[in-house]
Amino acid sequence: MENFMETYPGPQHNRHPDAEAVPTCNSQCEPRTQHTNPLVSVGTSHHVAPIAFREKLAFSDEQLVHSLQHLRESQHVQEAVILSTCNRVEIYAVPNARRSDEASATHLLEFLSRYHRISMDALKKFSYSHHGLGAIQHLFRVTTSLDSMVVGEAQILGQVKAAYEDSRAAGGAGTILNRLFNKAFSVGKRIRTETTIATGAVSISYAAVELAKKIFNTLEGKTVAIIGAGEMSELTAKHLVANGVSNVIVANRTYERAVKIAEKFRGTPIAYQSNLGFLIDADIVISSTDAPQYLITPRPLADVMRKRKHRYMFLIDIAVPRDIEPDVNHIDGVFLYNIDDLEAVVASNLKERQHEATRAEQLVAEEAKQFHAQLQTLEVSPTIKALHQQFQQVVAAERNACFEKANLSHKQQAAVTSMTQAIVKKLLHHPVKNLRQAVNDNEADHGQYVHALRALFALDATDNEM
Amino acid sequence: MNFLFLVTLLIYLTASIFQALSLAIGNRSDVSTLRPTIESIAFWGTTIGFACLTLFIALWWLQQEHFPMTHWTDSTAFFAWATTLIYLIIVRLTHLRALGSFVVPVAFLAILIAYSFARNTSTLPEQLHNYWLVAHTSLIFLAYAAFIAAFGFGLMYLIAEKRIRAKTDTLFSNLLPALGNSDEFGYRCIFIGVILLSMGIIVGSLWTQYIRELPWKWLDAKIIFTLLTWFIYVAQIAIRQLWGWRGRKAAYAAIIGFVALLCTYAGVNLFLDSIHAWR
Repeated sequence: MENFMETYPGPQHNRHPDAEAVPTCNSQCEPRTQHTNPLVSVGTSHHVAPIAFREKLAFSDEQLVHSLQHLRESQHVQEAVILSTCNRVEIYAVPNARRSDEASATHLLEFLSRYHRISMDALKKFSYSHHGLGAIQHLFRVTTSLDSMVVGEAQILGQVKAAYEDSRAAGGAGTILNRLFNKAFSVGKRIRTETTIATGAVSISYAAVELAKKIFNTLEGKTVAIIGAGEMSELTAKHLVANGVSNVIVANRTYERAVKIAEKFRGTPIAYQSNLGFLIDADIVISSTDAPQYLITPRPLADVMRKRKHRYMFLIDIAVPRDIEPDVNHIDGVFLYNIDDLEAVVASNLKERQHEATRAEQLVAEEAKQFHAQLQTLEVSPTIKALHQQFQQVVAAERNACFEKANLSHKQQAAVTSMTQAIVKKLLHHPVKNLRQAVNDNEADHGQYVHALRALFALDATDNEM
Repeated sequence: MNFLFLVTLLIYLTASIFQALSLAIGNRSDVSTLRPTIESIAFWGTTIGFACLTLFIALWWLQQEHFPMTHWTDSTAFFAWATTLIYLIIVRLTHLRALGSFVVPVAFLAILIAYSFARNTSTLPEQLHNYWLVAHTSLIFLAYAAFIAAFGFGLMYLIAEKRIRAKTDTLFSNLLPALGNSDEFGYRCIFIGVILLSMGIIVGSLWTQYIRELPWKWLDAKIIFTLLTWFIYVAQIAIRQLWGWRGRKAAYAAIIGFVALLCTYAGVNLFLDSIHAWR
């Protein structure tokens, strides 16, 4: 349920270049690198596909376990995590090493197509795929909510966590995906603490709650009065109650309607005529009647304020035409916000989030690059190990043959053994050093080094590591 | 000694600058990564400055062999010490570090004055160097410190209120306490300040009963001004209790109280003749 958070239609669009410009990106947009990018992700999201398509791809919990088993049994995939929310369905996978990026992405799409009985054409049209660094960066953007409908929303991190836990329980995630997802969670946390993409309300009702907190600090024990009826005022009252407001007064011209609304909040219904007396106990007032003239004017309100010993009152006027005369904002202790004021707060918060999002993107890109480099170091390790093993095997065989031919004392045998080992070490010193160096410097061709080494020394024939 | 005092002065200067900076940069996103750093420099700078000042006063006490409260340097240094102490206690209890942006610069100015007028000669009659002096002056300076904190809360209230009313506010006033908080803590500071001040005055009047060697004038300028200040703060408490004056009015009252306090503390000492004045 990503973006369960009430969304406000603002200037919020997809900014991810891949998602926007090239919706079907099948590895052409990533430089082709062999062997070295054992990560692939395919999926669809609100950026590229309408809800009608996304819902067809969604996985239920049971389906998730089942399909992970399928994937694992298919021999094409070593590890996989499936993320399925109402805004996206994505598979992150570590394919078997000897497949090209294209092939592994296509394989995952084919799997989706078979599993959900959707044509490959439609899938290709409404999906994207990422490889290696691209896949890492995409996951980081998803977990940090940069790829969400509302940047900074809080749900997605938890949803990715849940998806990862489920996939791990079903045996989907292994060494590489464990590392990847744990890193993604820490990046998610980092972005939340180091940028302000998640601060500032982006809906009118939340803006009202935040303002109330700025005035009262805590809403515990406060009383809210709702005058009139309306979806927006009820929603705002609901958020206020969820944030600690304990008493609700519902005032309406017809008592029956007041009773009806009050039932939802276990509030006190009041038949409102023109007397503002019931406001003496109200700390927050939400007004949304269709009255043509002002209901609350400065003079009676000042009277109410005196009676309530000038305790603060926060008035929210979401009626058009307005219910509350703007001049009441000058009364000491009275704070009035109308619908335009709240919308302005939301707009500036959204702007602030957008601004922060660019900074967050940079941080995410850096983190992804770092993680990618780490992963590659991990990748060359098997090659180095295989190389060492091969050399050692050859040396050991030759040495033993030599020992059989020549009759050497124990001491002499020990000397020869240590000599041969030193030779292996020295011979391999430069190749290994340079290979590691290439990875650390993030040289694009280190993949070719690995490839060349494996081909020249026929490592794949002897070792079954990968 | 002088070197230690200079170090203290510089630390307070740094702390004040960072305290002011942490508020001035607001929530501007281009510097928001620096925010935590600036805030911790401000807070720990204040703490370290306070430690240095404590050390300075302690050493000074040992060196002089009587409570250092006998001329301008002593008095303003102690004033800064008490102000910082109360600030640190408030931060400890409420986590409202923003108060420092208003209070620490006041402490810094006090130290600056102390440093500029540094003089080692005692102008207070020898007969008064006893524990009555310690009790009387500490109580009154702690009361001053509480009133200065209330002044800081008053300013924060006014700034935050202005922004909420102007409706231009987005994130900035998140740095300031909620209006209800500023108001409530400001009031508590005044309440505690009045108690301390009353105790200080009572101790002072009892002390007079034991002063035999010196002529005692009850119509001393300082006494009159102190009573006036006391009355201003007591009136605030009374009006709030009776008519519920709070918010903006209370904030202005705290500022008026602060002005009265400055008159009592600095004005009398500088311009009027009194046993409480040091020249």
